[in-house]
Amino acid sequence: MKLTRKNWISACGALAVLFLVASQAAAHKEKHTPEQLKVFEEVFLEQVRIGDLLFHGDAETEKTMGVQLSRTGMSCAMCHPFASDTHPHEFPKFQEQIGKFSTLRDMINWCIEKPNEGVKLDSDSDAMKALEAYIYWSNRGSKLEPGTH
Amino acid sequence: MDKTDNRSERLAMQKELGAKGERPARSLGISRRIFLHKSVLAGVGGAAAAGWFPFLNTIEVAQAAQTSFRFAWISDTHMYPREVNTRFVEKTIRAFKEVQAMNPPADFLIIGGDIGQLGNPVELELGAELLKEVKTKKVYIPGEHDWYLDMGKAWEKMFGAPYWYFDHKGVRFIGLDTISHAKDFWTIKKMTPQERMGHMATLDGTVGGAWAAVGPEQLAWLDRTMSSWPKDKPVVIFSHNPLFDYYAPWNFWVRDWREVNEILKRHDNVTSVHGHVHQVLYHEIGKMRSIGMLATSWPWPYAPKGVPKLTKCMVRVDPGDYFDGVGWSALGMNSASKVDNEYVMWRKDIYATATADSGCGDNRNQVLHPRLADAETPPNTADASRARTTEK
Repeated sequence: MKLTRKNWISACGALAVLFLVASQAAAHKEKHTPEQLKVFEEVFLEQVRIGDLLFHGDAETEKTMGVQLSRTGMSCAMCHPFASDTHPHEFPKFQEQIGKFSTLRDMINWCIEKPNEGVKLDSDSDAMKALEAYIYWSNRGSKLEPGTH
Repeated sequence: MDKTDNRSERLAMQKELGAKGERPARSLGISRRIFLHKSVLAGVGGAAAAGWFPFLNTIEVAQAAQTSFRFAWISDTHMYPREVNTRFVEKTIRAFKEVQAMNPPADFLIIGGDIGQLGNPVELELGAELLKEVKTKKVYIPGEHDWYLDMGKAWEKMFGAPYWYFDHKGVRFIGLDTISHAKDFWTIKKMTPQERMGHMATLDGTVGGAWAAVGPEQLAWLDRTMSSWPKDKPVVIFSHNPLFDYYAPWNFWVRDWREVNEILKRHDNVTSVHGHVHQVLYHEIGKMRSIGMLATSWPWPYAPKGVPKLTKCMVRVDPGDYFDGVGWSALGMNSASKVDNEYVMWRKDIYATATADSGCGDNRNQVLHPRLADAETPPNTADASRARTTEK
């Protein structure tokens, strides 16, 4: 078919209709209700709270989760009040102490194993995710700067 | 956060901190070490110092003063019972041995608080036992970690009165108790002594409130003690907490610091030496100079705001090296009646020379937020989502 101006307009029109139909089909989700958003936030903040407790050496929480983050009496917060100097926004990066390219989770485990002399966590464990949640939440608003020393 | 935040007080303090550096009295003078400290600082843009810095430059030359006597500061050893943590014990022993070996010797050693970690008499007894290594005169002020298990009973029995003064070679030395005046947060919550101690031992906790204070009775005593000493003669005042508002959310202050300053500012030559912050810190309020001491146990990061502008920041510390960023201080009173301070940090570099190595430079892109909840307080998500940003 020769591409005339008229055909071109028709083709564009057909595409537009197709797009509208497809996009309506893709928009299968309901609009989020305030209640839903609140639940999302609560799920997150509960992890922040658990992470806060772990970070501050709460023995009860460690026991419940079956983890031992320290055997020196030291907790994470004793060097990192308000999760300062954890710099989650600078990961991943080459981490000097580990001697290789590392993620925040790698560094959390390094701190558990070395200064704290605790038992390192599975990288995907609930305790690790909670610690990560607390650290990120405490540092929110810091500019993303991956790779920064 | 509200209790410890004291926004209006901190705003007032900020005003004070932000003011152009007051020209110090000529009689105050500046020691060589402080001068070096400032000269490096000016190089990295210490705008606050610019107003009067050249003035210091000229008097410095005239002050190649000899040390007339020395004394030593050790604090924040934070020892647990020996079987829990040997690292802190080793470092305490090292500091004690080094003080004992000082040549020329120290006339006395001040233990500036936080001998123990959780106020356990076993920890305090360990400190007392290790201190037998140091044969020189020893004086003591308490830290919150020494105090809140038994409200200072064991500490006072072992180390004496929590505040005092003595005169030595023309200097009035004053030890303050900034520890014992926490408002009772434990009775109503029916806390055990261990729970109370736990909250006091958590730097970024809010349950203990703005606990650091001198208190009315001791203020009256301080007033009398200062009044009976000539205004132009040197005074060195020891306290666990800084006598100014550095960062109230971590209790890096005493809540009645203004009243303390009202008394101290009548004198021309006052040097405040404090622990608690576990970091290199330097500040001036009017004529009073204030020097922060290192811990032997571990270094705290610089707070997200309020670091005095005159502070030359210490290095970023290697968390894998237990002897980095920690140590003690050899101080001296020089023949010009000024205090010299030498940080005896156990790794070579004390001050940072580049942003990438600086404990302050490291904070340049760090926005921090207060905790969602202390262990005793269930989270309030509505409050949390509006949590105040603590910008640097």
